[in-house]
Amino acid sequence: MPRFLSLLLAVLVFISSADAQEKYTISGIIKDARTGEFFQGASLTIAGKANIGVISNEYGFYSLLLPKGNYTFKVSYVGYSEAIQAISLDSNITFNWELVDKNQLEEVIISSKRKDDNLRKPVMGTEILNMNEIAKIPVIFGEKDIIKTLQLLPGIKSNGEGGNGFSVRGGATDQNLILLDEAPVYNASHLLGFFSTFNSDAIKDATIIKGNSPAQYGGRLSSVLDVKMKEGNNKGYNVTGGLGLISSRLSIEGPVQKDKSSFLISGRRTYADVFLKASPKFSDSKLFFYDLNAKANYRINDKNKIYFSGYFGRDVLGLGNTFNTNWGNSTGTLRWNSIWNSRLFSNTSVIYSNYDYNITIKDNETNFNINSNIKDWNLKQDFSYYANPKHSIRFGFNAIHHTITPTRFSGTISNFNSKKGRKGLETAVYISDNYKASDKLSIDYGLRFSAYTILGGDTYNIYNNGVKTGTIVLADGETGKTYYNAEPRITTNYLINDVSSLKAGYSRNTQNLHLMSNSTGGNPTDQWLGNSYNTKPEIADQVSLGYSRNFSNNNYEFNTEVYYKDMQNQIDYKDGADIQTVTDIEGELLYGKGRAYGWELLLKKKTGRLTGWVGYTLSKTERKINGINNNDWYNARQDRIHDLSFVGIYEFTKHWILSATFIYQTGNAVTFPTGKFNLNGVTVYQYASRNANRLPAYHRLDFGATYEKKKPGRLFQSSWNFGLYNVYGRENAYTITFRDNPDDPTKTEALQTSLFRWVPGITYNFKF
Amino acid sequence: MRLPIYIIVLSLLFISCEKVIDLNLGTNNPTLVIEGNITNQPGPYFVKLTKTVSFAEASVYPVVNNATVIITDNAGQKDTLAYTANGIYKTNALQGISGRTYSLTVIAEGKTYNAKSTIPQNVVLDSLKYNPIQFAGTIIHTVIPIFVDPIVTGNSYHFVIKINNVLDKTYLVDNDNVTNGQVYVRPLFSNDIEIKPGDNVQVEMRCIDANSYTYYYTLSQAQTDGPGGGTTPTNPPNGISGGALGLFSAYTTQTKSIIIP
Repeated sequence: MPRFLSLLLAVLVFISSADAQEKYTISGIIKDARTGEFFQGASLTIAGKANIGVISNEYGFYSLLLPKGNYTFKVSYVGYSEAIQAISLDSNITFNWELVDKNQLEEVIISSKRKDDNLRKPVMGTEILNMNEIAKIPVIFGEKDIIKTLQLLPGIKSNGEGGNGFSVRGGATDQNLILLDEAPVYNASHLLGFFSTFNSDAIKDATIIKGNSPAQYGGRLSSVLDVKMKEGNNKGYNVTGGLGLISSRLSIEGPVQKDKSSFLISGRRTYADVFLKASPKFSDSKLFFYDLNAKANYRINDKNKIYFSGYFGRDVLGLGNTFNTNWGNSTGTLRWNSIWNSRLFSNTSVIYSNYDYNITIKDNETNFNINSNIKDWNLKQDFSYYANPKHSIRFGFNAIHHTITPTRFSGTISNFNSKKGRKGLETAVYISDNYKASDKLSIDYGLRFSAYTILGGDTYNIYNNGVKTGTIVLADGETGKTYYNAEPRITTNYLINDVSSLKAGYSRNTQNLHLMSNSTGGNPTDQWLGNSYNTKPEIADQVSLGYSRNFSNNNYEFNTEVYYKDMQNQIDYKDGADIQTVTDIEGELLYGKGRAYGWELLLKKKTGRLTGWVGYTLSKTERKINGINNNDWYNARQDRIHDLSFVGIYEFTKHWILSATFIYQTGNAVTFPTGKFNLNGVTVYQYASRNANRLPAYHRLDFGATYEKKKPGRLFQSSWNFGLYNVYGRENAYTITFRDNPDDPTKTEALQTSLFRWVPGITYNFKF
Repeated sequence: MRLPIYIIVLSLLFISCEKVIDLNLGTNNPTLVIEGNITNQPGPYFVKLTKTVSFAEASVYPVVNNATVIITDNAGQKDTLAYTANGIYKTNALQGISGRTYSLTVIAEGKTYNAKSTIPQNVVLDSLKYNPIQFAGTIIHTVIPIFVDPIVTGNSYHFVIKINNVLDKTYLVDNDNVTNGQVYVRPLFSNDIEIKPGDNVQVEMRCIDANSYTYYYTLSQAQTDGPGGGTTPTNPPNGISGGALGLFSAYTTQTKSIIIP
């Protein structure tokens, strides 16, 4: 570690002493004039110097070192009017920018931060969504939803109706790092995947990075979904809310002390069970979820600010006293932002995260409980150092203590309760440099060095091809094996001309926690496992190549990327694995490798009355695991060859905005029988290759409409949102099962189950 | 053995629709199927040899009638089975005894297949108990087999139920991983035939070995459908060398009946 730090210091000194001209720093915060919310990704540029600029960080902070002189600075952020200020830079100055909401101009905007940002930044496979964009896109039940919107982008695939989570570039559901204010969210879905855990009223923006993540992120193979909650208005009070068919929301935000501290509390609850209870048949059933987001911040002084944010959400499902289940996440983040000097910004976070599920089954005289949980304590230290206009450095460390309790049984009929929680320590140090090598070439390169240590308190079995060959007892306080990984990352961007650029990247990601699921769609009862003596860190190496071209004055944006991803130490259950009751689940696991490759195309129209995008992905993802499919390559369940999405938003009149989405996807890879036989009087099916069949293609058209009559000068504003899901009533296959023909036992038949045809949605939104 | 909760939830919540569809599943690779059973009850015992057919064909299975079928046990018994009809081979003098391991050898169409199974110690089925469950405004009529699981671990059970003498196709298997040494209390949930008042429910309890448990458990996993379609189905591991399908299973058997009030 000391060697790493001294190396780091040497690099910093070298970079910052590149030349000796007299230079000063301009730094500060970029925020919303009305609410005081700061902006991530706002850009500061200089008139007449196209290639010098800086992007604000997650806390709205920017810093730029420039030669002494007079400059005209411009600051812009999506949906806000550009701010322009002439400043004479003859000393280090702090300048905070407040931008005015453009919404008063009644414009609909779907765009990147800067009109040609896509060309200039050395980032790949990255999309930032803000809530204004998401609000107009139709989704099921009229509930706007980040994850549902992300799934309309190339390379990001829904696991299907009723599925749990999403897949990025051929990765599995658990290979996405989902962060809510830096806290990992282990199950981001409610109600079996129909809703995400992100209440859009409490969310500021969300960034998805498809594998080429900067060095400060780590721990998952496929993607990072970084969701930021709003800070809360520090200038005045606001109430926003919505009433929908299936759920309602309410948020309150405002200052505690004006300009100094603010809070936000936001809640959401579904009430599907209210309708259920109306029918006497289901009068004793429970079926709902709720979310509670809370956030507060306090500005100690100009240089120091602390934040607290918390999330608590739970799904409850019950049928009388017989059967009850609930699951949910809770997270808490305490952060301290500190501006050490005009070029060095620090953020320190202490994060708590918990996911658990409980199932209770009660009978006339017995009860039975199944539960599992994963709990983290997490310390993060991150520095941004704005060395000079050519180099921005990020470095820091991260340590997470995991406690993972596997599925356990308890209750009156069980004496089997000997499974203990397993503990692990995940640590990482990282450094990266965003280097503007020339007017045309910029490079973001970095290294993350990560480690996972097995901590004591349990007994670990060692297996060789499923046969137990040894045992390691680790007492409390002892440490077991440590896995080390070096993860280099590099992304380069070459600006070919004013309208096009070429990008290339390589990154290695590792993953120390693994979600074990034996169902094709995922259940809340799927369990997490840490590394052990058998299960090694998963490793993914991804290379990608991209090209961006903007047309007609940046109104149209075209991005395309190809990628190839190689995955090591992939895990699956062996055939016939018993995952719920077995004493040691590790005896049921098999290990192998994976590969995924694809081509993604995205064409966006960003301005005008009609905006939207068309996205297309051609891809393949496969696994090869010894002991499955005769040790041959097979399609991963999330493999889909074609994936097409179309999103259109049309400003019909001043008050009406119409929208439509259309998706077409190859059906999921599934295993259908090829033959059959009879065993003891029952038909049994014969299978050949795993996942060699396909569900029928999935396609669907959704409509949405928003009516909003702005009342100038009035405090109370409201809007109506109408939606129709699956407009032409396509019966998309949810499952296909096989059975004996009920009328003719000498025949067998395939039975397709579909979930939804037309689902309407109405939501009334208000704010004051 | 778990409640198909997700299907229940989804059907509560949303209107789902089912339809029979045509799928082109191609042709299969006709494979030998061994259905062999040995019990602790007096013989004869039977081994049936058939072949698989393609999914789209009629469920009429070609029989294999010229095979050599031999069963031995670890106490020196050897029985060469005699062919009867319909692919069925019959033992001559072999007697199944708890604790013994039986080895099956089948030589058919030039290939040799081997399998082994052990008859576990019998666990006495004491009685059947009627167990109505209030569920979403209706009553689900279930039966609990009452018995005491032995203190030693590793017991596996297979319940074959007949309702009014019609075989229920649900795979009902359980082991003592969770409830070792206790009185059994889990109701048998059928997802094939609905049990109604007045029905005669016959429960055959079989004590099976671990290999048979894995076989039936794998089939039961493929029967439950979670969101997105349950566990990826596969040919269950059956311990038969040579690549035949089916199962050679040695078990104890007891049967009791109950009339649903």
